[in-house]
Amino acid sequence: MTTLWPIALITFKEGIRNRAVYGITLVALLLFGATALVATMVPREVGKVAVDMALSTISFAGLLVVLFVGINLMAKDLDKRTIYTVLSRPISRSQYIVGKFLGMIMLITVTMGILSFLAISAIVMLKTIHGGFFTRFSWQAIILADCLTVLMLIVLSAVSFLFASFTSSSFITLILTIITYIIGQSLSGVKALLETPSHELGFTVSPVTMNMVKASYYLFPNLSLFDIKLQAAHDLPISSSFVIWTVVYGLVYIAISITLAALIFRKKEFP
Amino acid sequence: MRRTIAIAAFLLVLASLHVVALGRSTVERKQLPRGEGSAIVLPSPLLKIAALEFRGLISDYLFLDSIAFYGETLNRTERPRIKEWEWRWLYQTLTASTDLDPYFLDPYLFGNAFFTWEAGMIRETNDLLAKGSGYRTWDWMLPFFAGFNNFYFLQENEKAAEFLMEASRRPDADPMLVSIASKLVFKEKKTETSIQFLEEMLQRTDDESIRQRFTTRIEALRGILLLEQAVVQYQKRFHRKPQRIELLVAKGIIQNIPQDPYGGKFYLDPSGSVKSTTERELMPHRKQ
Repeated sequence: MTTLWPIALITFKEGIRNRAVYGITLVALLLFGATALVATMVPREVGKVAVDMALSTISFAGLLVVLFVGINLMAKDLDKRTIYTVLSRPISRSQYIVGKFLGMIMLITVTMGILSFLAISAIVMLKTIHGGFFTRFSWQAIILADCLTVLMLIVLSAVSFLFASFTSSSFITLILTIITYIIGQSLSGVKALLETPSHELGFTVSPVTMNMVKASYYLFPNLSLFDIKLQAAHDLPISSSFVIWTVVYGLVYIAISITLAALIFRKKEFP
Repeated sequence: MRRTIAIAAFLLVLASLHVVALGRSTVERKQLPRGEGSAIVLPSPLLKIAALEFRGLISDYLFLDSIAFYGETLNRTERPRIKEWEWRWLYQTLTASTDLDPYFLDPYLFGNAFFTWEAGMIRETNDLLAKGSGYRTWDWMLPFFAGFNNFYFLQENEKAAEFLMEASRRPDADPMLVSIASKLVFKEKKTETSIQFLEEMLQRTDDESIRQRFTTRIEALRGILLLEQAVVQYQKRFHRKPQRIELLVAKGIIQNIPQDPYGGKFYLDPSGSVKSTTERELMPHRKQ
């Protein structure tokens, strides 16, 4: 831990100093302002729309942090050749990866904390003005949805570490991570769609496609599992066993990704 | 100095050109054909996948888009104000919105208010309401509205009663619903039941023009109820049915014949039941 901590801290500091973080916070701030505007355009379910927009903004801004700040943090050391100075110190390459990832977790948690605070302020403000239109509303559900979003972002970040360990440029990592995000969010929908009986679907699905989808279902992270924004917006029941198993799934996926990333990084040859 | 003036003049010209171009482009754009081809809403299963984790947000967007479109049509002068395919597009948009977030109350209420009165799409509206009612199990309003549509527009009282019973089982439901439902099933006191049902509905309607329609209809039905009761009294007293409605006044059972708020006149048909010359107004319009 003593060897990991300095790397984690320096990664976090580097990330938070990145000007992109300010830009992303500004975008989020504008979107929270839009929340207040749009939610009042809805005749009844002001609360639902406010929660929808606030949670979506957090997700979107977090995605920008992972894609544009996180990936750069990983790539910088390689691009600027500072990796040589780091690796000349008495730490292993695996420790370097794990330390970097811990710093990334800190960065995501802190930025998401700030964004969540802004989101909650926006909701509180709307709730004091339009309290009567917040009939089905629960802070507990909103905070739970927020936490699962943070976990989703950490999973995505772990996957980006895995990509960064074997690609040669940060741009390829970025593209692969974006693709993973899109696949991860739509995968269970696609699987459910293809599994509907073909007479309802209107076309037959070839077994090859089906197997490919099934393979990707286990290969790619199922990011849509972490999305309970709809349930939070309507205060629908969320079972604790769902939460526990989703968290377990997320942690296992992170562990696998980081282990693989460390293994590949150990064998990597630097130019 | 001359340079500064030249640059300022150049910028001024550009700025005014910008304003003109923006204005012209906006005007010209409105002239572009906006035919049925543009009225395509992605099928819901695809939309659900394409929405990624932003289903709720896109559901909100589709709903706001449809009310914005509806609001825009209020300024139109042509009749009918909203074309057939536009109604279809609106319906598809609200269906997509409620497929993405089936718990979202507003699209159901909006659909119910406008697809029934203006578009005459009663069955489609009830499909929408049935979907909402299936998801929002804590909400008694949606089955109540579905019941009302069956009663008022389709005159399918048994079906209406089913919906009302469903509504009455839900939390905070109005206790009146059970009594209205049972009367609908047993077809007793039809006029009174109708008045009761309409008064329930009037309480839950915000739209002023629809409220007005309900009030007029309640007034007409009250007139009919008064005359029906007078006919019963006449029968009790003279042991036969009155031939003409004026007899009710002549024999002193009622003071005067109530006005038909639709502008017609009440009369008795050969079987002795109360009718109005504006029968068609009195019967809800039925479009299929």
